[in-house]
Amino acid sequence: MLRFLTRRVLGAAVILVLISLVTYLLFFALPSDPALLSCGKNCTPSNIAQIHKNLGLDKPIIVQWWDYLIGIFGGRHLPLGNCPAPCFGLSFNNQTPVWALLKDRYPTTLSLAIGGSFIFLVVGVGLGLVSAWKQGSVFDRAASSVSLLGQSVQIYFIGPLAIYLLSYKLGWLNRGQDPSWGAHPGSSLTGLVLPCLVMSVIFWSNYSRQTRSLMVEQLSEEHVRTARAKGMGSRYVFLRYALRGAMGPIITIFGIDLGSVFGGAIITEATFGLHGLGNLAVSAVTQQDLPLEMGVMLIGATSIVIFNIIVDACYALIDPRIRLA
Amino acid sequence: MKKRRAYSAAAVLSVGALALSACSSGNGGGGGSSNPSGGSTTAASTAKVQTITVGTAADSVGPAPAVAGAKKGGTAIDLEPAGINHLDPAEAYVNQEQVIGQLFSRQLTNYKIDPTTGKTTLVGDLATDTGTSSDGGKTWTFHLKDGLKWQDGTAITSDQVKYGIERLFSSFETAGPQYLQQWLTGQSDFRKVYGGPQGGKSLPDSVLATPDDKTIVFHFKTPHADAPYAMALSGSGPILKAKDTGPKYDTAPFSDGPYVVSSYKPGKALELTRNKYWDAKTDPIRGAFPDKWDIQLGVEQPGLTQRLEQQSGSDKDAVSLVQSADPTQMSVLAASQYKSRLESNYQPFVDVFNINVSRIKNVKVRQAIIYAFPMQQVQTALGGPQQGELGTNLIGPTVSGFKPSDPYGKLTKPLGDPEKAKELLKEAGVKNLHLSFAYSNSGQRWANVATTLKNSFAKAGITLDAKAIDPTAYYTLIGKTNNPYDLYRTGWGSDWPNASTVIPPTQDGRLVADDDPNYSHLNDPKVNSEIDRISKITDLTQQAAEWQTLAETIMKTDAPEIPYLYDKYYNVYGDGLGGISYNSAYGTINPNTIYVK
Repeated sequence: MLRFLTRRVLGAAVILVLISLVTYLLFFALPSDPALLSCGKNCTPSNIAQIHKNLGLDKPIIVQWWDYLIGIFGGRHLPLGNCPAPCFGLSFNNQTPVWALLKDRYPTTLSLAIGGSFIFLVVGVGLGLVSAWKQGSVFDRAASSVSLLGQSVQIYFIGPLAIYLLSYKLGWLNRGQDPSWGAHPGSSLTGLVLPCLVMSVIFWSNYSRQTRSLMVEQLSEEHVRTARAKGMGSRYVFLRYALRGAMGPIITIFGIDLGSVFGGAIITEATFGLHGLGNLAVSAVTQQDLPLEMGVMLIGATSIVIFNIIVDACYALIDPRIRLA
Repeated sequence: MKKRRAYSAAAVLSVGALALSACSSGNGGGGGSSNPSGGSTTAASTAKVQTITVGTAADSVGPAPAVAGAKKGGTAIDLEPAGINHLDPAEAYVNQEQVIGQLFSRQLTNYKIDPTTGKTTLVGDLATDTGTSSDGGKTWTFHLKDGLKWQDGTAITSDQVKYGIERLFSSFETAGPQYLQQWLTGQSDFRKVYGGPQGGKSLPDSVLATPDDKTIVFHFKTPHADAPYAMALSGSGPILKAKDTGPKYDTAPFSDGPYVVSSYKPGKALELTRNKYWDAKTDPIRGAFPDKWDIQLGVEQPGLTQRLEQQSGSDKDAVSLVQSADPTQMSVLAASQYKSRLESNYQPFVDVFNINVSRIKNVKVRQAIIYAFPMQQVQTALGGPQQGELGTNLIGPTVSGFKPSDPYGKLTKPLGDPEKAKELLKEAGVKNLHLSFAYSNSGQRWANVATTLKNSFAKAGITLDAKAIDPTAYYTLIGKTNNPYDLYRTGWGSDWPNASTVIPPTQDGRLVADDDPNYSHLNDPKVNSEIDRISKITDLTQQAAEWQTLAETIMKTDAPEIPYLYDKYYNVYGDGLGGISYNSAYGTINPNTIYVK
């Protein structure tokens, strides 16, 4: 297992380095000049040149990229200030260390990801299991319809609707706010309920359908029939035999989804006015803030890579054949 | 948009003669009225223009004018969709940075707003008056008031003002205005003359002198009659050397205003609490009624507008100082239920379509394009009259000397005059004219505008080839002097209420270069020489009238742009706030008269 993990971690590191290089190259492939955004109104060529120097844009791209990579581990002295390790650069727009911005925003993303994924996993898998258990029943048909609806709608549609109805009109739930667990644990919790619920809708629909489908497939497998033939109870067979067989694909999907939501939920954050990595990603792109883009991208990519490794490890634990492969 | 981000320190003035009646439903106005464009308008869309005058020493004495019903205390909330890029006053140029910066930084002069009438007066802020000129307008002297203090109780002196001005030259101060640096050195590349105070170097007394602790004297290379207005820009104030942290000052400024920055999370939140050393008796501008300002940043639209509409919980004490309502919500806000808490007023920005003179060299063709342009349809596609009023002047209605002018009869035929356009094209001997139109692909609205233009121009026999450009690259691409486009949209706002900050930067052909705001690339020697002549006029009223005449002449004889919209602020605020007034100098709600009920 250790060798397996070492191999995967090294592979992940190479992927992240390549992603950072590609992002750098793509940024400079665009025809825009980020210096314009820091140049004020009556921009002069000398001012543009000064900004290029301040932002380090006067160096060759490959040198900029290499300096960036080295800075992550060793820190850097930049024209606009010192940037201690881990240095992801200073934001082009306000000269704040990107690492400080990421640290400030990550609690929101983390809270949203944990809350949302808990809901979509429990609700989605739960619905799928009950539907599979009661195939053809009214519940099964209703659950399928609701899942289809969930997969069809978008957060930017149901989000404002939910805020208007549940918060503004009925006053049942907070319209959504950034958590501050240390200072205000109560309002942090209530402020995340609605965003987590809405975000989970588009996910749990998928889990519900996938779980049902996989369970139905498993229940028709020979080893399940054999277990039943041995006289084991239906519930025991359902949970012990069929569910175990269906777990693999569900874990795979869950791992990928977790990686995505831990990297920032852009639309959910925008809809509910939350300030997580998704919000930061949008402002980084619109403001052509390369260090911020790189920081958010690397956090997002790292999340996905880490959860992929975890999924693979779980696979290996569940199925010994994976370990040997 | 760049206009919003970089064009901001706009100022609005109508010295005397602006007889523009209008109303703000938030301040008791009502009914239809005439508007600057001369066309008809509705109560919901009509804005108000305030006359800005230069005040006396008596006007510059604190405290600020009383606000009826105002009381101290509470927390006022400001909702803004964008982050604040700069808290350092030297870097503040966007109106959001300037208006919020007023709460924790003071300048030599600033705008005093009467909360009842909206009357706006340029007065001494730190200075005892708006300055005294000598040497034909080249030398300006300001005296500081007594009792001015920093947030730690240190007295404010003239050498700190000098240090603040010197700091504008620093290599890290690139985003702010450059007027004072250029006026003091006489060069656009001012850092070649002086690189800032970081190395211990100081500007000589022959340039910037402080004969005593209370006096500062500016010696400009050429006369500048509007120097009192330049002293209202955010960077025209003191910096305490011991607290100067260089680029880091941008996130943690040291206050000499009524509030201190108690907490700041870039792009997320800014919290301002009281500065116990600020003395209201020295400040004729700021009422500073709330105990705290909770400025929430990165609040996306349309959620921001919906929060103000619904005013649920603490949102009843919320306002958006800078941001207009989401265009999709503007018609909703026109309903009577919002009338008592709606603010509608002119912003100092004029939206234009630039005709690329480098490519469309024949003036008759440019005039044909103007005739064919369907300004009302474009206005509708962008959100309707609440967002901006039809305008045909290069100078906006909020600038000194503005007079309605419509040389192409656009307000009479706002949907365009294709027949007249065809006639002009025929005279020019042009058949099958193809135009390349570039637009920022920043939303469906601009795609709609492209379609509208395409259809309207087709009626005049003009084929429009619309090219969508990524928003982040838009200004870079159209800013090239050799750009391949014939038509593109930009906007401009004055930095203070004088067209000296509008006509020279946008029409002077000697400035044409990549990224220069003369986006049409007009280079008419007659215009250039007129700019030189008018700039030397020391009587501001006369100068303002001359700028207006030149603006009309440019439109008639050169036709380099199609002005089509005078922008407006249009939004609601929470019922829990009182004393709402409008700062037409910045085009924002004025935080200095606001109180929490």
